[in-house]
Amino acid sequence: MRRVAAVAINTFRESVRERILVVAAAFGAVLMGGSVFLSPLAVGARQKIVMDVGLAAISIVGVLAAVFLGGTLVHKEVDRKAIYLVLTRPVSRSAYLAGKLAGVVLAVSLIVAVMAVVLAAALVLGNVAPRPAVFAAVYLSLLEAAVIASIVVFFSTFTTPMLASFFALCCFAAGSLSNDLRVFAEKFGGAGTRIAADAFYYLLPNLRVFNLRHEAVHDLPFRAVDVALATGYAAVYVAAVLCVACLVFRRREFA
Amino acid sequence: MNAISVSGVTKSFRGDMSLKKREVLRGVTFEARSGEALGFLGSNGAGKTTSIKIILGLIRADGGTVELFGRPAGCRDAASRTGYLPEMPYFYPHLTLAEFLEFCGRLSGVPARDLARRIDRVLETVDLAPHRGLRLKGFSKGMLQRAGLAQAILHDPDLLVLDEPFSGLDPVGRRLVRDVLVDLKARGKTIFFSSHILPDMEALCDRVAIIRDGVIAKTLGLDELVRLGEGRIEITARGVRPGTLAGLDECVSSAAPRGEETFVVVREQRFVRSVIERLYERGADVISVAGVRRSLEDIFMQEIARPAWPARAETPGGERSSEPAAFVGF
Ligand SMILES: Nc1ncnc2c1ncn2[C@@H]1O[C@H](COP(=O)(O)OP(=O)(O)OP(=O)(O)O)[C@@H](O)[C@H]1O
Ligand SMILES: [Mg+2]
Repeated sequence: MRRVAAVAINTFRESVRERILVVAAAFGAVLMGGSVFLSPLAVGARQKIVMDVGLAAISIVGVLAAVFLGGTLVHKEVDRKAIYLVLTRPVSRSAYLAGKLAGVVLAVSLIVAVMAVVLAAALVLGNVAPRPAVFAAVYLSLLEAAVIASIVVFFSTFTTPMLASFFALCCFAAGSLSNDLRVFAEKFGGAGTRIAADAFYYLLPNLRVFNLRHEAVHDLPFRAVDVALATGYAAVYVAAVLCVACLVFRRREFA
Repeated sequence: MNAISVSGVTKSFRGDMSLKKREVLRGVTFEARSGEALGFLGSNGAGKTTSIKIILGLIRADGGTVELFGRPAGCRDAASRTGYLPEMPYFYPHLTLAEFLEFCGRLSGVPARDLARRIDRVLETVDLAPHRGLRLKGFSKGMLQRAGLAQAILHDPDLLVLDEPFSGLDPVGRRLVRDVLVDLKARGKTIFFSSHILPDMEALCDRVAIIRDGVIAKTLGLDELVRLGEGRIEITARGVRPGTLAGLDECVSSAAPRGEETFVVVREQRFVRSVIERLYERGADVISVAGVRRSLEDIFMQEIARPAWPARAETPGGERSSEPAAFVGF
């Protein structure tokens, strides 16, 4: 556990010092700031837009950061052989991967936290107290980013950062739509299509459960138990992906 | 017990373009006894780094067995007793030297309360203490090499596996690394290292394993290394004419004229006197007398760099003339 933490902290430190974080956070802040000044609307409507754009930005920037960091950090270490110094110590390969993933998630959390603070400030400046649903939505976005991060880390154990990022983004897109895809296949597809769609449905993360943005923006009620269930789902999904990634990674050679 | 025992290890790599495999290691067998310094000598591409990576469990052997302290390669307790310096070390450029060593120490399971003290000590040892706060991306090649040595010895391992520890170092750095290794050896650590810098290897090693084309061609023991040091004597003389040395065939192995001078190679120390007396008797002038060593470098040139194909019988002892001892080294 101490070793997982050491790898995680090192990964976190690396991404913080790489300044990607700053870029990502600045991007999100500009997006939100822009929406404040550019919308010549009545106050109530403007706050809705700020919230809508802000939450969407948090979700997208979080996922992109996860994809970027997860795709490069593992691969870079293998490619430049820094990994020799880690794996020749009494550190299991699984501990290494878990640490890497934890570090990426930590870094993404920092980005998301910074952007959430900016969003909250924008709302407070507009005389709206941020509702709990807003924070719940941000939290779920973070879980979503963590799920995507685990997928990137999985792919990056055997492909290049480009491909790993690409596959992960595909999973993100498909995961956001997997409900619809299944419904679509059930309505119009033959038996084969339906089985394939089912397989996809269970294999891909169902990212729907991490989307509370609509409720947050329109001040609709949400259930705390859904948030708890989503947390459990994310934990199980990440753990499962990590296990498969470890199986692949354990067989890998570092020549 | 052996610190490292490698037996019959084979490894093939698949080329990038073709599916054809190329056998890089073809049955490597050797062992490093506990407490000894074993040198690993071989020309570029002979398979040193590949063997070392297999010993550390970074890659898997296709066949054969590798054990460290009697445990299979790559297992946890073997890893915690081993320090490794990679061939071209790459470290995290975003870390300062102290942070990097802290990271390594944690991974090696150095107890938290000892860590700071250990780091101070190894930084003293490798003479990098003033640079502890500097990010590694600002390090020169030789400094990185020393940082690499620092991380390898940080957790006080029983076995050090060093892939070319002397590369990229200036004479001061080389001396430093040599002293560190001598000291570790004196403390009973096992050292296994590859190098092309032969004087360092001669100074440090108890034995040398020579790898050629993926097999251990030869292992030289301590006595053989010592015997290499006793050599022939080379006399440079002026005014040597044909027939001057007639009848001394058993003492003189060769006499090669070069301009006005002649290089006379005397087989053994005990013949020197009679050869010199003969030279003076016949009116020749002795200009210099030098002890000649057949150094590892000669062995290297003769046994290793020699192309693999001629199946000529080896001539033990070697008849080539070599450099006077004073000039051996770079
Ligand atoms: N990952 C790899 N894929 C394909 N071939 C490889 C790989 N690694 C090494 N080789 C080949 O294996 C052979 C041995 O390489 P190795 O690095 O072990 O040599 P070496 O003895 O360490 O040489 P040097 O003195 O140059 O460091 C070389 O011919 C090299 O081309
Ligand atoms: Mg090498």
